[in-house]
Amino acid sequence: MKFSKLLLIALSISLFASCSSDDNDGPKGAYDNGFFILNEGSSDAGTVSFSSNDFTIFTKDAYKAENGADVLGKFVQNIFFEGDKAYIIAGGSNVISIVNRYTFKLIAKVDSGLANPRYGVVKDGKAYVTNANSYDSVTDDYIAVINLATNLVESKINLNTTGNRIIEESGKLYITDPMGSDKLSIYNINTKTLEDPITIGSGSDSIEEENGTLYILRPSYTQSSEIIKVKISDKSVSKIEIPESQGVAGYLDIENNQIYYTVGNSVYSINTAATTASISPMFTASSDIGYLYGFAVKDNRVYLSDGGNFKTDSKAYIYNLSGSLLKELTVGVGPNGFYFND
Amino acid sequence: MTLKRFFAFCLFLMCQIILGQNDSITSLKEVLISDKNLKKYSASQSVLKLNDSIINKNEALLTDLLNFNSTLYFKEYGRGMLSTVSFRGTTSSQTAVIWNGININSQMNGSTDFNTISGSDYNSISVKAGGGSVIYGSGAVGGTVHLNNDLLFFNRFENNLRLDYGSFNTIGINYKTSISNKKWSTQIGFSKNSSTNDYKYLNRYTWRGEQRWNQNGQYDIITLSANAGYKFNENHILKLYTQTSNTDRNTSLITESETKSKYINGFNRNLLEYDGNFGKLKTNFKTAYIFENYQYFADNSTKYYTYGKTENLITKLDVDYNLFKSTHINGIVDYSRTNGYGSSFGSHIREISSASLLLRQDIGTNWKNELGVRKEFTSNYKSPVLFNLGSSYKFNDWYNLKLNVSRNFRIPTYNDLYWDEGGNPNLKPESSYQGEIGNVFTFKNFTWTQNFYYMKITDMLQWVPGANGIWTPQNQDKVNSYGTETLLSWKKSYGKNIFAANTTYAYTVSQDEKTKNQIFFVPFHKATGSVSYSRNKMSAYYQILYNGFVYTRADNNPDEIINDYTISNIGIDYDFKFLDSFKLGFQVLNLFNKDYESLENRPMPGRNFNMYLTLKF
Repeated sequence: MKFSKLLLIALSISLFASCSSDDNDGPKGAYDNGFFILNEGSSDAGTVSFSSNDFTIFTKDAYKAENGADVLGKFVQNIFFEGDKAYIIAGGSNVISIVNRYTFKLIAKVDSGLANPRYGVVKDGKAYVTNANSYDSVTDDYIAVINLATNLVESKINLNTTGNRIIEESGKLYITDPMGSDKLSIYNINTKTLEDPITIGSGSDSIEEENGTLYILRPSYTQSSEIIKVKISDKSVSKIEIPESQGVAGYLDIENNQIYYTVGNSVYSINTAATTASISPMFTASSDIGYLYGFAVKDNRVYLSDGGNFKTDSKAYIYNLSGSLLKELTVGVGPNGFYFND
Repeated sequence: MTLKRFFAFCLFLMCQIILGQNDSITSLKEVLISDKNLKKYSASQSVLKLNDSIINKNEALLTDLLNFNSTLYFKEYGRGMLSTVSFRGTTSSQTAVIWNGININSQMNGSTDFNTISGSDYNSISVKAGGGSVIYGSGAVGGTVHLNNDLLFFNRFENNLRLDYGSFNTIGINYKTSISNKKWSTQIGFSKNSSTNDYKYLNRYTWRGEQRWNQNGQYDIITLSANAGYKFNENHILKLYTQTSNTDRNTSLITESETKSKYINGFNRNLLEYDGNFGKLKTNFKTAYIFENYQYFADNSTKYYTYGKTENLITKLDVDYNLFKSTHINGIVDYSRTNGYGSSFGSHIREISSASLLLRQDIGTNWKNELGVRKEFTSNYKSPVLFNLGSSYKFNDWYNLKLNVSRNFRIPTYNDLYWDEGGNPNLKPESSYQGEIGNVFTFKNFTWTQNFYYMKITDMLQWVPGANGIWTPQNQDKVNSYGTETLLSWKKSYGKNIFAANTTYAYTVSQDEKTKNQIFFVPFHKATGSVSYSRNKMSAYYQILYNGFVYTRADNNPDEIINDYTISNIGIDYDFKFLDSFKLGFQVLNLFNKDYESLENRPMPGRNFNMYLTLKF
């Protein structure tokens, strides 16, 4: 792509961003109106990079920039938000660092009651965080219930299977299981009980909800990968098979009634109502991406990250929906996810 | 401190102590060493020997001894934790550790953890720079570290006991007894080194503002050794070396909330050796059984652990034939069978046979030549022909020139070949070509060794993420290393005053051939210095170590480095002359309370103290 065209796109995006922002108070901090890239780290602690939506501001290690010598911990896995706060999970260090999402200043840490925490959601003042616990056991995983007023783990919900990605919808938690079983776990927050799990097939990973339906990606190395649809009202399951010839699926995200998913370095898109997979990709990302490790779609942009070699700084790539590269960012080690802050 | 300043400092110290001269007298006794080839085939390379008087001046674990007294660079995961070496810019599995002539690098990961070895279990420790695969096999690429137990045949009954007590509840108990006559020689030793290791991290506080300290860093290392030799007569000698050790160590945390883990590893080594002298023909037959195991508890509050074990049987026959007056030829055949099993690599047997031919020739007393060729036979990997070619020429009293060219290798380990998932059974060994020039200048009490080397390593094993997210090792990178090593040693006595000074310095460039980047965790500069003074019953010493900065990333990102540091120790002891010797000593380690680390987020302790008592009776 020509440089002039790139500039034009950047300009139009920044105009769009500033016009659409109806926030009259202006930015709430240096990290408003942008997105975070989580870098899980490897032998050393993980980091968080920040870029403004117009790419004019970029901070490679936002936590260090604001908090000095303190570290987030090993294997930074997930961020979830509540109010003005961002909760950053470092799985390898059993800790959640709570920062102001706009200034990134440390507020507190949740540093007990967690065992290899993975992903979290918030409902009614409580955070629900999946914990892989011992990796030697697939039945000891639990959800830590954290009271956000005290930042303490107040109870644990035993899953009796592996728990990984988690979403909350209408008072229920839905948890995918990448290795322990072929079930989707369901927890009812009001009755505090685990409901009957739904059989969806083994190896389930990304999970999203849209209009009463759960969309779950089930990558497979031995057969066709699948997108599983679970209708929440009657728990009915339908499947969309991704042709095995395309490769192994990676990640899934939903935006404006479109399902976006990756297979290899290609990004595919189908309508949420579709019953078959796309036969051709929207676009194929840079072959420089050796190991696609993070994926998100937001405001007509596709965010992709390269896990890299997990020894040196790697890269994040931002494309528009037609597959033009808008920006390439050098981030930290092992970038694994994008989180939007506006 | 800059390097210039460091040298100025050393020079200053030396000028202070250059006094009169008086050659020290060394008494000669017949010493039988197991690793004969270390003496016979090292004329063209540089060997630094650390004897027990140096071993005793350092902390118990081998990392500390070698860090302060040699050009070897160490990376430690905190005090007493996993410690890996880099010699001449190579990786931790490219330095071979040799126990009484037998290569003891782990069959599982290819390297040796220098914090699991106590220096006092050996009579001497030698550091040989440069390639040695022809004699010592896999891993002798950057150099070799030799742990030697010597057997002496004369009438004696001698006991050595050393007790240490230091900061962080560091306790050392080392006992050695030597009983020998003209036919028998036995040596039995016990060592135990432990510490709660709960030192404070200088200038580091938690988010709550509490002082941070080294949590879960406790260690306990116990080693038992027994060595015996029997002389049937002057020409037939049988020797047995055994050693058993257990290291029980927790692993220190990066952040306080981490799951506490534990690593237990141990070994059992047995070596039976026969020396026969049949005039022109000398034979040495060795058979060894080496057992090695580990258990890793990812969460030490649970009973779950992963493990690995290997049993290695080695038999080796070495025949030395005196072709004519000054020329010897050695034929060596050896067979090694390893049976390894573990939770991560299943069960596999590996058999390796090898044949080598060594030739050495002394032309006059001043010119020595060496030649060696070795070829391994195994179904596990394709093995290159290894060779070693060297010459040493003494031009005059004060100048000795040494040249050496060699080809060396490092074979894939059990982890590389069989790790589930990701192990790659189709790996080649890493191999290297190396050339070096050594210059040794000797003036009265002063020795100056200056080595220059160049090394080309190909097929470096790298674990890389594969297409489906599974890491797998590949033979991919090429590395070129070159550099220089300076070793200075000086000793003088004036009346009852004995002075000694030693310094080492290494300049190391180790580059990835493609990117031209310096290999990470290889410092460009490393220097050590020590001075000691003794008079009558009193001795005092000072040690200094400078470690240049290292990159922590392959891309040489300037933001990702470990800063250089200079640390020093000081010690004094006094012999009360009770029994044969009754020494009480006191040491201050990290004298200037330097806040340093050799790995990111792994702080080392500030100023700390040690007291010791050594008894000879």
